[in-house]
Amino acid sequence: MTVSKGAILIARNNGKLDYVKQAFFLAKRIKHYIGIPVSIITEDIDYLNDSFDSSIFDHIIPLEYTNTTNNRMFFDGTLAYKTASFKNDIRDEVYNLSPYEETLLLDTDYIISNDLLKSCFDSKENLMMFKESYDISKTRDETEFTYISDFSVEFYWATVVFFRKTPQNETFFNLVKHIKEYWNHYRRVYQIGSALFRNDFAFSIAVHIMNGFSPGNFASQLPGKHYYTIDKDILWSLTNDEMLFLIEKKDYLGEYYAVRTKGQSIHVMNKFSLERTIDQGVHNE
Amino acid sequence: MSKGIVVLAQNNAKDDYVKQACLLAMSVAVTNTNTQVSIITNDTVPIEYKELFDQIIPIPFNDDASHEDWKISNRWKIYHASPYDETLVLDTDMLVLQDISAWWDFLNRYEIFFTNNVYTYRDNLVTNDYYRKIFTSNNLPNLYTGLHYFKKCNFAKEFYNWLELVSNNWELFYTQYAKNDFPLCPSMDVSAAIVSKILDCDDKITNNKVKFPSFTHMKPKIQNWSKDVQQWQDCVGVYINKDCEIKIGNHKQNGIFHYTENNFVTDEIIERYRNKLHVY
Repeated sequence: MTVSKGAILIARNNGKLDYVKQAFFLAKRIKHYIGIPVSIITEDIDYLNDSFDSSIFDHIIPLEYTNTTNNRMFFDGTLAYKTASFKNDIRDEVYNLSPYEETLLLDTDYIISNDLLKSCFDSKENLMMFKESYDISKTRDETEFTYISDFSVEFYWATVVFFRKTPQNETFFNLVKHIKEYWNHYRRVYQIGSALFRNDFAFSIAVHIMNGFSPGNFASQLPGKHYYTIDKDILWSLTNDEMLFLIEKKDYLGEYYAVRTKGQSIHVMNKFSLERTIDQGVHNE
Repeated sequence: MSKGIVVLAQNNAKDDYVKQACLLAMSVAVTNTNTQVSIITNDTVPIEYKELFDQIIPIPFNDDASHEDWKISNRWKIYHASPYDETLVLDTDMLVLQDISAWWDFLNRYEIFFTNNVYTYRDNLVTNDYYRKIFTSNNLPNLYTGLHYFKKCNFAKEFYNWLELVSNNWELFYTQYAKNDFPLCPSMDVSAAIVSKILDCDDKITNNKVKFPSFTHMKPKIQNWSKDVQQWQDCVGVYINKDCEIKIGNHKQNGIFHYTENNFVTDEIIERYRNKLHVY
């Protein structure tokens, strides 16, 4: 029996950022590098159909429009930011919404540039996430991504999650949902200062609990390394698998230095610069 | 071959180490029902706890620590006072949170064994030498006497005879072997490390490659926290359930837990153990 497999992207625009555009861009790269079907979960179906070639998506999974009070600042380099709603509260539902037996769930700002994640589908592991990560600046303190707070549990990135539909994973996603619903309780118990709900934190807490409140291997490490840039950096250009970033200079506000990558998938947190780069690419096509 | 856990407990004006030893004995009774525990003390063991101990042994050869607040001058006597062929020595401020019967099988391969790797409450290997600069700067083996094992044998006897000598003449030996970061007072860990150096026996008495036997060390500055913390209990919560399972900051603790702060021993924790064991 053939097991269905594919990638899932969640795209919920917030008036400031165009996650549908990001998802469309990423879907093309997933197909190119990993060669699996891609589905989208979105509340902006009309916009998707009107503005993009939506046939790239295997399934378009509709989501009822909801607003959120979960607001945060989105930086665009060191000197500019916009406050916008952070519509991140349905990640736990992907277990049920995914049409695939084996799902690769990705943030739309995770720019795939190689085929490493393809091997997830050959792995025996049923749940895989990134725990270790690497800031490409190599100058910043990375401890905020080691533990979810100074005294708390290990940090797991919810940016990329590979999962199979198993009873254990169903429990895991239900647990994430429970943590989300009682976020104010859990964030206090797990000593998280900010009230902002973050999937990374909820997934990290859930992994910790599934491990029996200890470090463990309920979630295995995804293949490859999780490279990231923060939203105070700028993605300057993207050509095929090459990216050029302007990285904020430590202690020199508004100044940057250049870093070029090739063949590395990278979590680009400055979504404004990502969208500018996508637009640039579209113009070039 | 008889075997058991031995603790040395001497109260001072401020701290009740016998109470800690009783709590430790209760933790052993919960997780290692067939393991014997003996206490070496000249202080009174409360009557309700006496049954927890196999033997209550007076400190032999007089009390050399009667004038000390931090009473360590009798610790070399543990070898001579232990009633067991195989002894696991623990500090009083420890709890045994899991069945450690498999550890005995491992330890049986050694005549003396000291732990030299300890872990944080998040189960990370401690690599920070904040409290152990003297070991680093004098290239001493990183031994922890808080958890160690010996068999009654000639080698262990020789080791402890040297330990007696170093303990009783610590300034002399420390000047020779630990002159960098010279301490204000002796430490059993440093003294044992010096003996190990004198006898050139680290390979015989420790094993850097095994994770157990070891303990969780709760000294605050080795927990990989970025904040400068004086008391770990100010920063992470302590949770103990009715089965006496303990979580520290949401991390379930296993193995041996070295809490290090005397005010960890609260009425609530004692009551949990008393209720579990029906100690009234």
